[in-house]
Amino acid sequence: MLSTFHALETARRAMMTQQYALHTTGHNIANANTEGYTRQRVNFTQTESYPSVGRNSPSVPGNLGTGVKAGSVQRIREEFLDVQYRNETNKVGYWQTRNQALTKMEDILNEPSEQGLSQQIDLFWTALQDLSADSEDAGARSVVRQRAVAVAETFNFLHDSLTMIQNDYQNEIEIKRLEINSLLSQLDLVNEQIRKTEPHGYVTNDLYDEQDRLLDQLSNLVNIQVQRVASVGNTNPAAEGAVTVTLIDDQGKPVQNEAGQPINLVDGTGASERAQFEIEFQPNAHFVTGFTVREGNGTGTNVLNTLPRGEMKALIEAYGYGTSPEDVTGVYPNMLKELNSMAEVFATEMNNIHSIGFTLADQNGVVHRGGDLFDLSGVGQGVGAAKAIKLDSNIQASLNNIAASSVNINSIVSGQRQVYQDLVNAPRDQQYFSNIVDFLTTSSNFTTGAPTAFAGDGTNAKRLADVKDTTLSFSNDSGTISTYYQGVIGDMAVSTQEAGRMMNSSLSLQDSVEYRRQSVSNVSLDEEMTMMIQYQHAYNAAARNITMVDEMLDRIINGMGVVGR
Amino acid sequence: MRVTQMMLSQSSLRNLNQGYNRLAQIQDQLATGKKITRASQDPVVAMKGMRYRSQVTEVEQFKRNLSEAYNWMDTADAALDQATQVLQRMRELTTQAANDTNNAEDRANIAKEVKQLREHLESLGNTKNSNKYIFNGTDTTTAPIKNTNNMDLGVTALLNETTTDFSSIEVIYNGKTFQHVGTENGSHIFQDKSQTSPEYGSDAFASEATRLTISPSGAVTFQARNQDYNANDPTSQQQLTNSVSQRDVIVANANTVSINTQAVEVELLKGVTVPININAGDVFSTELFGDIIRLERALEDPKMKGTDLTSYIDNLFGHINTFVAERAELGARVNRVQMIENRLLEQEVNANRIMSENEDADLEKVIIDLMTQETVHRAALSSGARIIQPTLMDFLR
Repeated sequence: MLSTFHALETARRAMMTQQYALHTTGHNIANANTEGYTRQRVNFTQTESYPSVGRNSPSVPGNLGTGVKAGSVQRIREEFLDVQYRNETNKVGYWQTRNQALTKMEDILNEPSEQGLSQQIDLFWTALQDLSADSEDAGARSVVRQRAVAVAETFNFLHDSLTMIQNDYQNEIEIKRLEINSLLSQLDLVNEQIRKTEPHGYVTNDLYDEQDRLLDQLSNLVNIQVQRVASVGNTNPAAEGAVTVTLIDDQGKPVQNEAGQPINLVDGTGASERAQFEIEFQPNAHFVTGFTVREGNGTGTNVLNTLPRGEMKALIEAYGYGTSPEDVTGVYPNMLKELNSMAEVFATEMNNIHSIGFTLADQNGVVHRGGDLFDLSGVGQGVGAAKAIKLDSNIQASLNNIAASSVNINSIVSGQRQVYQDLVNAPRDQQYFSNIVDFLTTSSNFTTGAPTAFAGDGTNAKRLADVKDTTLSFSNDSGTISTYYQGVIGDMAVSTQEAGRMMNSSLSLQDSVEYRRQSVSNVSLDEEMTMMIQYQHAYNAAARNITMVDEMLDRIINGMGVVGR
Repeated sequence: MRVTQMMLSQSSLRNLNQGYNRLAQIQDQLATGKKITRASQDPVVAMKGMRYRSQVTEVEQFKRNLSEAYNWMDTADAALDQATQVLQRMRELTTQAANDTNNAEDRANIAKEVKQLREHLESLGNTKNSNKYIFNGTDTTTAPIKNTNNMDLGVTALLNETTTDFSSIEVIYNGKTFQHVGTENGSHIFQDKSQTSPEYGSDAFASEATRLTISPSGAVTFQARNQDYNANDPTSQQQLTNSVSQRDVIVANANTVSINTQAVEVELLKGVTVPININAGDVFSTELFGDIIRLERALEDPKMKGTDLTSYIDNLFGHINTFVAERAELGARVNRVQMIENRLLEQEVNANRIMSENEDADLEKVIIDLMTQETVHRAALSSGARIIQPTLMDFLR
């Protein structure tokens, strides 16, 4: 037999449940602009109908409904899109950072422009040309000196600026490492909370959101794979479980530790504690020597060579990594290597040629063989030529010491003149310059015991100018200083362009995945408003239902048995 | 597909951002006039840009070198022109003096003018261009004609017991320079400098060498091969011998006029060097000054007859010819430099055009891009403003 108040209970349940839904709507609206928030829906379920199925159930007609209840509050989210999104985020993290590193380098090298190294080399060349046409002129000489200083300083500037940025990357790597470790700790914490609450039948929607937010951030830094682990116990079907996060390489395969097992950064089963990243720098030279994941059980695996893609990889690549100073690779170390090689080869060739020329006469009217034009004495022990190169102190001391002239051929004893010519015209091998120097320092070769030279002879200045068009051999390749530098800039520009293009394409892919993800999970205010109206009406209707029952009861209680009164 | 407010505002923000990016790029192009502002925007343009800029710098430098070359050659040409006029004036004066109506005093006055003209020639030989002696090869800091006192040491200098270094002494006679080759019985033998064979001491020397002999008493004998010598004619002499007056030979220090013969070269095109100086030894030579001094002495000699001066006039003609020839050679070189200049100017235009084509922005295109982008950007702004503003709440009352 039905209770008299059955309908009241049904209406009360309806009001409660509609209110529950209205609260959820309010929660949705409140979080409409929360990053990473997933809209929630109340799953309405009917309560058990009357009579319930059973042996002793009364035989009454029909199956009377008893109202509604809120079954669960569920996140509306598509996990497949998360996987896609994290994949793209990972690429964005890598290419964006790489692009940034290369763009900064591009800014420093600043080519083509009126300020770059190539312009300085061109200007130095014009100064030497002027000197060759006007070799006794102090003005032409001082321009050569200033332009030589400018070339040296440009090398110094490029080296210092690049090194400065490179050093910034060391700090950034350290900060990002701490960020990864902190993300892993947070994920572990969230996992623990989920593992503790889900067995009691709870659905921890806000924790799942937090979990997804953390995973999104982590995937930006390193490449990861996520697996859900269902909790044991009395779990709600809407429960999503804790996560196990695995490190994966570029091929999408899990990175393995020494035991051949995949490296679990966070373990959803709670078997071992979270992993942490460690990093080792070479203290003097600037490069990373080790990037180690230490798992919860204490096993450490160096993943420097199988570095998973992401922002971290781009940072380490920009900063440079390797096992010894000789085999360091990286965006910045490579460019510094090129600059060092260019500075050294160029300065050495200039010095060689300068040493076979002759200076202006000193106060005693004596000319001297040229010394060095550039000073490379600071090179060595991790200090490259681009940093160490400067103008030689003798040139700094006196303009006369610029060796613009060749030896006066008439001061050579007549039998040796052809020998000298042959030496000068010989192919430029390693011996070339020292052969000429040997000849010039042998006093018996000269009528007056020492070579002489004329102030108006600018042939050695011309030879110095010709270095611009001389094929030199650099660390990676050979070419003239200009063409080699053009190649270096070209390589850098192509890498930057590639990084920029990859960044843009991964960004737009990320955008489109994000769009689809939001399309599923984002709060639509219009929708929430509509539903609010819907729930409100249902709530009102349920209230009306109570009024109706009230009127019915009023009839039964107050209006019955008062016949005719 | 569900689309929410947040999605709308995010995407319109993204679109606006992209619009700004494009506008910034167009602004860069308009402000700098260049297609690219960083190498990565177009690596090929950047690399080529570096090469073309370098080419333009080179052409500009060669133009500077060119003006240096013109400077030298113009100055040299002007100096040679003046020197020729001086010599012509000397010739006129000598022709005038060769007339026997002039008495010794008149000739002495003419000699004075010739002396002045000679000094002018000396200063022409020491012509400077922007602080450089242009007639002294690569030795531009010293004057080619240094100590003019050394031009005429006098025959007695040879006979002086203290003189031992004869290699630094030259004797000038009739347009020729003679150098010391040996001593015989106290007599000094000098051979024509331009004649290298026969060598002193060889059998043919006595019969074939053009030479001067200065005896200890100061008597000068000139000997030269007889051009009309006929071996079959027993009367014809193989050797001509003249006795020369002491005042008609000039004994000079060999270093009086510098003999730096090294060319001053300037690069005018990549790998093309052109010598820009002329060899001073060819024009302002010891012979020239020696011969003029000889002329002066002859004019001062009261015993001189008019007809005797004819050989001096011929002599001057010879020197004028040397100057004219040298100027012609210089003129030819100026022509060559002018041709190089033409090529250089053409190259300059080309290099600048190629550079411009490579890296300069096409303004019309950029401005049209700007207009298009501006329109798109305005549309994005106004559509954003229209879409984001109204919500359902505005209509729910």
